[in-house]
Amino acid sequence: MSFDVSKAMEWAYKDMLTFFPENVSTFGSELDNLFAMIYYASVAIFFITYGILIAFIILYRHQEGRRAYHYHGNNLMEFTWTLLPTFLFAGIGLWSDDAWTKSKSAYRVPNPDVTIDVLGYQSGFGWQFRYPGPDGVFGKKDRNQISSANPFGIDSNDMHGKDDLVIISPGGARPVEAHLPINKNVLVNLSSNDVLHSFFLPNFRVKQDAVPGQWIKVWFNGTKAGRYEIACAELCGSGHYNMRGLLIMDSQQDYDAWLDQQYKLKKPETAPVADSTATLAAAPDSTTTKKN
Amino acid sequence: MQTAIAHAHDAHGHDAHGDHAHHHDVSFIRKYVFSTDHKVIAKQFMLASLLFLFVGGLFALLIRWQLAYPGEAIPLIGNILPDTWVSDGAVTANFYTQLLSLHGTVMIFYVIIPLAVGMFGNFCIPLMIGTDDMALPRLNMFSFWLVPPAGLILLSGFFFDSGAAAAGWTGYPPLGPSSGAGQTTWLISLFLIGFSSIMGATNYLATIVNKRAKGMQFFQMPLTIWALFITAILITLGTPVLAAAISMQLADQYLHTSFFMPDNLLVGAPDNSMLTGAFVQKGNELLEHKQLLGGGGQPILWQHLFWFYSHPAVYIMILPGMGIVSDVLATFARKPLYGYKAMIFAIMGIAFLGFIVWGHHMFQSGMNPLLGTTFMLSTIVIAVPSAIKIFNWLGTIWRGDIRFTAANLNALAFIATFIIGGLSGVFMASAPVDIYIHDTYFIVAHIHYVLFGGALFAIFAGIYYWFPKMYGKMLNESLGRKHFYWSFVFFNLTFYPMHILGVGGHMRRIYNPYIYEFLQQFQPMNQFITFAAIILGFSQLILIFNIFWSLKYGKAAPRNPWQANTLEWAAPAHPGHGNFDTDITVYRGPYEFSLPGRSTDFYPQWEEPQGQPEEVQAKDPHSSQHA
Repeated sequence: MSFDVSKAMEWAYKDMLTFFPENVSTFGSELDNLFAMIYYASVAIFFITYGILIAFIILYRHQEGRRAYHYHGNNLMEFTWTLLPTFLFAGIGLWSDDAWTKSKSAYRVPNPDVTIDVLGYQSGFGWQFRYPGPDGVFGKKDRNQISSANPFGIDSNDMHGKDDLVIISPGGARPVEAHLPINKNVLVNLSSNDVLHSFFLPNFRVKQDAVPGQWIKVWFNGTKAGRYEIACAELCGSGHYNMRGLLIMDSQQDYDAWLDQQYKLKKPETAPVADSTATLAAAPDSTTTKKN
Repeated sequence: MQTAIAHAHDAHGHDAHGDHAHHHDVSFIRKYVFSTDHKVIAKQFMLASLLFLFVGGLFALLIRWQLAYPGEAIPLIGNILPDTWVSDGAVTANFYTQLLSLHGTVMIFYVIIPLAVGMFGNFCIPLMIGTDDMALPRLNMFSFWLVPPAGLILLSGFFFDSGAAAAGWTGYPPLGPSSGAGQTTWLISLFLIGFSSIMGATNYLATIVNKRAKGMQFFQMPLTIWALFITAILITLGTPVLAAAISMQLADQYLHTSFFMPDNLLVGAPDNSMLTGAFVQKGNELLEHKQLLGGGGQPILWQHLFWFYSHPAVYIMILPGMGIVSDVLATFARKPLYGYKAMIFAIMGIAFLGFIVWGHHMFQSGMNPLLGTTFMLSTIVIAVPSAIKIFNWLGTIWRGDIRFTAANLNALAFIATFIIGGLSGVFMASAPVDIYIHDTYFIVAHIHYVLFGGALFAIFAGIYYWFPKMYGKMLNESLGRKHFYWSFVFFNLTFYPMHILGVGGHMRRIYNPYIYEFLQQFQPMNQFITFAAIILGFSQLILIFNIFWSLKYGKAAPRNPWQANTLEWAAPAHPGHGNFDTDITVYRGPYEFSLPGRSTDFYPQWEEPQGQPEEVQAKDPHSSQHA
């Protein structure tokens, strides 16, 4: 048990905004600027209201012989302090809406240069990545073929699925390492097969829940090569804290080299076609009566 | 200007309490345990909730210790806890998840709501509207007596092999329904406590509408009553939705429905006996448990239903506090509340908007981003009535003569922390900013500024303010101020740095943050927060000590110790069952402090006007808009 006082007190003497992890995505700086704008507005409002509060507490403290002013209020003042915040907050709302549409709206996902699938999983706690393979086309998904051997539910009858590349944790406590190219629009199709997870890329200002039964589109464009952490931000069980993954942002050449290496490592027989599993899993499904 | 309803029921009320005055021979059980006296029920709510406050606080400190020194044995108690909870004296990841789930659940459903609504609702409503008891006293008794079994059911989960609920206080599916018996106790317990809330709230509404003292109009009710009235409306509209959602999750767990469960789930725990399905086999090896029944459910539906209740629940927790603070501030500033009607309309505005903003908890949930825009704009609008309230409180102390009693210090602290909590709320109301800070410690900081800094300080203010009427004894002021200063300082030292953690990206609900490289720098700050939290926790013992010390040695309270205007101070110092020993008629609003031309600086609502009151009123140019 140790305690470093100067580090422990950093919150008191350093500017809050300096604690952001480095931003490496295109829209990240806009989100950071919006945060900073709200922060400075809040600091201003804080000093004004606290100034008034403390001044009144000192000026109007109890004194013998003083009688308080009998006054019930003033409608002009009420209108003033209704309208002023309305304009301020309307401004924040409009600016926010613009940034929201750019960063999140499913209808504004720019033409993707790279598309991948990402799954959060609970048994072992981590992330799995799926790339379309050398043919550049994902195999079709069939929900009834989902199993732990084929978590993405790749349709075993689809030829495009045979070469799909699935990146998983190398085992043990080591985090999964996924690679992506910089300066490209990356589209992530996000889901889960068990519980909710949340795909959190702190440096990219990306966060999106992974919801079983639903593929959700997330996009970003990384601006700087490097090694970045992936975290889970939605409680998903006792191993929630342990969902660390790594995202390596490469130049296009390094990314292509990495992909080639992965294709060579991938042996044909490990193609995710767990036929026996799929049949076993699908059979009871078809006989189950719908409850709702 | 007396309404017929108020008049008729008042007559009935007086008959009733004349009758009650002779009921001194009731048995101990009927008087102190299964009592129908609203004041006894209020005290029961207070004691039960203060007990839960320490239970929830203990959970918080165990969580804090793990964040400061992960894997190191908990001091003093680490080695005496059972092996299912700790390993080598440090909490296990599984137990940690149970602790954080139960900390939130206990603090929200068993501390803040029962204190703010159960205790003050019961104590204040009949006294402040000048009646003998609730409209439905027996229903009132039942509403309290659901709390102990509900609480015991919730905590009983800790003694199961599989542990207590571990899906967070939000219980999101599919984690919730797939996590075993602990979750079942959580659901049943919330169902019961919600039922208790509904019984209380219908009673409050019936009482306020029908049993006001002779002459009391709606716009002559103190802000505490207005706040509780609107809170009761929120409860009756919101809580049934929670009950429905809970029933649906229970059905998913046991009846194999599929409200929230999509098909083809690979649920990770093969030993989970709660879900029926088939095991996917590969050779002789069991791979996983696969949920095969039903299917087609939507996990996000739970979030919509849960937050449709739980966002208004935030206002259920804070609105009574706003009412209490308004009354306490006016009394101790010796000034009329600034903008009485504006304050009431602001409460109504907050309550209305509270029902159309729930989606702001779900910006990152996978909900359509277009809906996110709608919820963002409605949420930002809530800042306006909140700002109106802040400015009116500042207006109330402007040109006042402020007395710094323990009650008033806590009320002023409410304003101070509510400003910070309100401002930090604007960050997460902005959906794009929320992308990054969602589910980080920024949110944790915000909710504690609103619920601890806001609701709990207001509750403390209310306890210091009404304790004399509850027990007939004054609370020790010096101990009260010490409790306040320690709480206020260490509250801020505990929760302010959490904003910084959130900016640094520190996720909430994580057992060991330091496996992430970007969070390792925050361990010293987490240690600082932990030490502040420990002192904050122990500071609350001053309040408990003060309560018991004052009950035994405190000065006897006079009838109206704070020289306040509202009706509860017309009752005897320690009112018995039936409350009032005189007939109560209301002649004016609740905030006629420092009226020019009077020898005293207060003018109680029940005091009959002497001479020509109209002329006294007319001397003051501003009282006309209010009178």
